[in-house]
Amino acid sequence: MPTGQTHAAERARGFDTVLIANRGEIALRILRACKNLGLKTVMVCSQADRQASYGALADTFLCIGPASAGKSYLNRDAILLAARLTGAGAVHPGYGFLSENAVFSAAVEEAGMVFIGPTAQSIATMGDKIAAKSTMIAAGVPCVPGPDSELPDDHASVEAIASEIGYPVIVKAAGGGGGRGMRVVSDAGVLHESIAVTREEARQAFGSPALYMEKFLQHPRHIEIQVLCDVHGNAVWLGHRDCSMQRRHQKVIEEAPAPGIAPDVIGPVAQACVKACLQIGYRGVGTFEFLYEDGGFYFIEMNTRLQVEHPVTEMTSGIDIVQAQIKAAQGIPLDVFQNGITADGHAFECRINAEDPTTFLASAGSITALRLPSGPGIRVDTHVHAGYKVSPYYDSLIGKLIVHAPTRAEAIVTMRAALAQTEIEGISTNLPLLRLLFDDEGFAAGGTDIHYLEKWLKQRSGS
Amino acid sequence: MSGVDFSDSAVIASLAAALEAAGVDGIEIEHPARKVRIVVERCTSPTAPQIEASQQSPATIHSSTVAAPMAGIFADRHPASVATPFTVAGDVMLGDTLGFIRVGPVLLPVRASETGIVTRALAGDGCLVGYGDPLFEIEPRP
Repeated sequence: MPTGQTHAAERARGFDTVLIANRGEIALRILRACKNLGLKTVMVCSQADRQASYGALADTFLCIGPASAGKSYLNRDAILLAARLTGAGAVHPGYGFLSENAVFSAAVEEAGMVFIGPTAQSIATMGDKIAAKSTMIAAGVPCVPGPDSELPDDHASVEAIASEIGYPVIVKAAGGGGGRGMRVVSDAGVLHESIAVTREEARQAFGSPALYMEKFLQHPRHIEIQVLCDVHGNAVWLGHRDCSMQRRHQKVIEEAPAPGIAPDVIGPVAQACVKACLQIGYRGVGTFEFLYEDGGFYFIEMNTRLQVEHPVTEMTSGIDIVQAQIKAAQGIPLDVFQNGITADGHAFECRINAEDPTTFLASAGSITALRLPSGPGIRVDTHVHAGYKVSPYYDSLIGKLIVHAPTRAEAIVTMRAALAQTEIEGISTNLPLLRLLFDDEGFAAGGTDIHYLEKWLKQRSGS
Repeated sequence: MSGVDFSDSAVIASLAAALEAAGVDGIEIEHPARKVRIVVERCTSPTAPQIEASQQSPATIHSSTVAAPMAGIFADRHPASVATPFTVAGDVMLGDTLGFIRVGPVLLPVRASETGIVTRALAGDGCLVGYGDPLFEIEPRP
């Protein structure tokens, strides 16, 4: 629980130079926010990103390692050294890479710089999925049925817990998240084997075999709530999003607000999230992820960072989330109050990935031609341009196409037009899939669940 | 193989990805004008394959580049040294210290990769350089 003294010390720490410890579209997004705030920027890159045109927009563009992410964007020491060399006063980790690495966050602060994100303690608490669940329960945030404690070893106890919850259940790695390290158990017959396998996977992938068990919801939607907190004890929620259109736990399309959910149903849940933030002394931006089924919200995890899909909430709230995040890190009090935050119209975001349309494997290559849509209600967040070489070393996201319109139906029309105007040649992308999805009746009706896309893909490949 | 363009980094990248996927440790392809060697490093943490592509045309000798081994401040001589720093047209022997990369109190020596003549000195004393930034070009003279 933060004390007034801690906050005072934080309030005193200003900075005028931000080191952006990321790449691609989000690095460019952060750079733009810094420029708008009058802050200087240091962009670090790997050998593979030396030619990135956004580098020229930064005040300093410094190569810190070879192409491999482990030796560059995940290289804590190289990033801290770069900050020291360039005199940066703050580090923005973006998303992915080290953004939810508590050790990195602590190291930045120990080096006398501001980590643009929550404290290492918050990251660690929310990174431990069991601890996160306990914290949410204490704050009155509804969670998926299941104990907020580690699954014991003895078979009898485990069987009792599973029966109590009711099959099907899901076992999840406490150190996991983002869809990794989990397994559905359909009945008692496969319970112990499933647990054993998941424990071993968890040990290997996350360094801990600790698991917890929850009810497996069969047709939920993925709904998330965006929060923003300053260091003065103020916290608000900026809106909610529906990110159910996923393939293998990777979001493909996101929208704000989540369609068909009454404000008096989601309002109390969002308020509980805000209360949780205040209770743990959270600072900056964060997202509470829920499964929503049959009118009920069930907390699954909190992302303690800026998210890929933040633009759709920017479109509906009118708030620049990255600027707000940086201002919070500077110790500036929030200049928005909950009753001043609105959700205007409807926004969609399509993630444009450099990937093979059938195998979904990342594809590399040079973009030989690029035509991006523009016009009212259309926003494109991308770092690529004609001639850009998409490298195979990092994730396949090359851009985000965002639209906003007064209603969901109009936003779908706008997105169809925007997708039709988009041309990317030289590499394979998921544009054809996105176009098909925006022509899909089921998707147009709204409220499709997290299994919809995979079933849809299966149907199409089967026929 | 002769139709493959090894100067295209996208080709190298997809070759490297194919090697990794197939579990092959490396490949070396020699051609009169080019030599490509791709080695996959097996470590606990996933890394991309290390790629070396050297061009050696028998007709002309190209300059060899000495690159910064890490990001830091380039120093053209040791702070305690009174010798003149290496400059263009200077003779160097393989292994000679051409300068240092300074990070805080640490001085990392930058060594000549060839015996020959310095044809370009690209970093100024006191300048911030990044990992892999070219510092010197040396024309090999055996």
